[in-house]
Amino acid sequence: MWETLAQAVINGLLIGGIYALVSIGVTLIFGVVKIVNFAQGEFVMIGMYISFFLATQFGIDPLVSLVVSMPVLFLAGVLIQHFLIRRVLGPNDMPQIFLTFALSLLLLNLSLMLFSANYRTVHTSYSDEAWHIGGLYIPVAKLIAFAVAMALSGLLWVFLHTTDLGRAMRAASQNRDVAMLMGINPNRVFAVAFGTALALAGAAGSLLMPFYSAYPFVGQVFVLMAFVAVVMGTLGNVMGALVASLMMGVAESLGIQFVGADSGLIVVFALLLLTLAFRPSGLGAKRGR
Amino acid sequence: MQTSGNMKWLWLAIGAVVMLALPQLVTSSFAIDIFIRILLFSFIGVAWNLMGGYAKQLSLGHAAYFGLGAYTSTIMQVNYGISPWIGMIAGGVVAMLASLPIGWLCFRLRGPYFTIATIATAQVLMLIFLKFRDFAWGAEGTTIPNLGSAPLMMQFEEKSSYYYVVLGLLIVGLWITHQIEKSWIGYYLVAIGEDEDAAEAIGVNAPKIKRDIYMISAFLTALAGTFYTQYIYFIDPATAFSFSVSIEAALVSIVGGIGTLWGPVIGTVLLETTSALLQSWLGSSVGGIQLTVYSLILMAVILWRPTGLIGFATDVYHRYVRRKPARA
Repeated sequence: MWETLAQAVINGLLIGGIYALVSIGVTLIFGVVKIVNFAQGEFVMIGMYISFFLATQFGIDPLVSLVVSMPVLFLAGVLIQHFLIRRVLGPNDMPQIFLTFALSLLLLNLSLMLFSANYRTVHTSYSDEAWHIGGLYIPVAKLIAFAVAMALSGLLWVFLHTTDLGRAMRAASQNRDVAMLMGINPNRVFAVAFGTALALAGAAGSLLMPFYSAYPFVGQVFVLMAFVAVVMGTLGNVMGALVASLMMGVAESLGIQFVGADSGLIVVFALLLLTLAFRPSGLGAKRGR
Repeated sequence: MQTSGNMKWLWLAIGAVVMLALPQLVTSSFAIDIFIRILLFSFIGVAWNLMGGYAKQLSLGHAAYFGLGAYTSTIMQVNYGISPWIGMIAGGVVAMLASLPIGWLCFRLRGPYFTIATIATAQVLMLIFLKFRDFAWGAEGTTIPNLGSAPLMMQFEEKSSYYYVVLGLLIVGLWITHQIEKSWIGYYLVAIGEDEDAAEAIGVNAPKIKRDIYMISAFLTALAGTFYTQYIYFIDPATAFSFSVSIEAALVSIVGGIGTLWGPVIGTVLLETTSALLQSWLGSSVGGIQLTVYSLILMAVILWRPTGLIGFATDVYHRYVRRKPARA
């Protein structure tokens, strides 16, 4: 019993690391640019396909292809921010929601046309390897993914807290108008935030590739989880998103273990609905205003 | 549009005659099928538009009500032999009741997070119906027993009869929207859509109005669910709670003209015609082409004409046909 429980928690934490990369991206964009990127999951998908093609065409290990997927998606993020998102920033919700939503639909269905709905996998030397510690089973590929995800989250934290650009981003997320009065160039900050968020999604894709299949709809799994985590962890709060993502991973894994194989999502949504009912501003919110 | 009273009635009468005669003039079953899809999604769009268009509560979870309507009438029909005409109303009532707790939860969030919460509720309902194997057939779904010609059980031999049923639904939806649009509720809805806090500050009871309109919107969407299930003789959680229903409900309204009476109809005509043309050119071999084109149209509308085709047509009308006096 305790071993099963511990195993479920470990499984949840390991996948929760990937959820964290996706939700930190969502929350970063929300915090700084004040829009919700519905297409975040599709950039995970693109990261996966980049790694898949580099692995099958050039034999590059998915973990190495991180150095390709992250910059490519960073650039994509800067361009998308500059040419699309910038045009709909304003008080009106509708264009913002449906622009990124349309982007999500477009990327998803383009990849369906280009790559078909087939599941693509990459087999690496460590794909089947696992450590046995006590009675516990720890797959190496997932452990690496988790460790790299945590390291990237840590780097982001350092970036946000020690560099001028990072501080500018945090300032813009706290109060955009005052930040602009202090001489912060909002377009530059927005572009970097969007690029960084997409780079994190790309990293998540590459890290997933050794143990997860790529298919056009794969991003939907992660983006739903990320949205739940971002709401639970308080919108725009990077630390909250990280903690909530790990919790989501564990909750999903416990649901699968103790309620049934298809119940992971139900548990996650139940948590979301409970959060909305009792702490609508999220767990990371300061009480009062 | 500022047409005079008599002209308006003339146009409506011409429209009515054309719509009634259409299935008699065009008898190809492929064409009637497209007409039925256009009317059905116009109707769903009209239901969505009440909530999403006028009050700008941008739901992407209307499949929840579509599915509840479909399941209520089908369960009543298949398990208890009750006519879907009764089941349709019952489904509407179930959807209305379900919209109360769903609305209570989702309206705590604003803007994009309201949208996400609505997606989640539709997904939860789909997952729940996947689990209900005892009285709702789980993931396999069920076929509706074909009784041949049984109008009392909403089953017809002629496709044109389905056409008239869904045409009737659309007319009801448009009439309700028109009544709301010209009443004080319509102005309150628009005020909520413009700025909810400001609307509340001047005394609009926003939570109550949103709740009531959400109930009407859910009721109408559920009717569409029953109709669709009867039309295709099949139900399962994946089709009844399909995300694409939620997407199309919002899309047709935005493309046609969000928060306008005829916007959803015009949007559906454009999108469904495009989709039918694509299908006849390319066959259904290329998966994803339909939604790729839809998303490009949606992006184009958002970036260049956020008021949709209606806004575009009005601009053109005023620029080239009848110059509007400059706004004060």
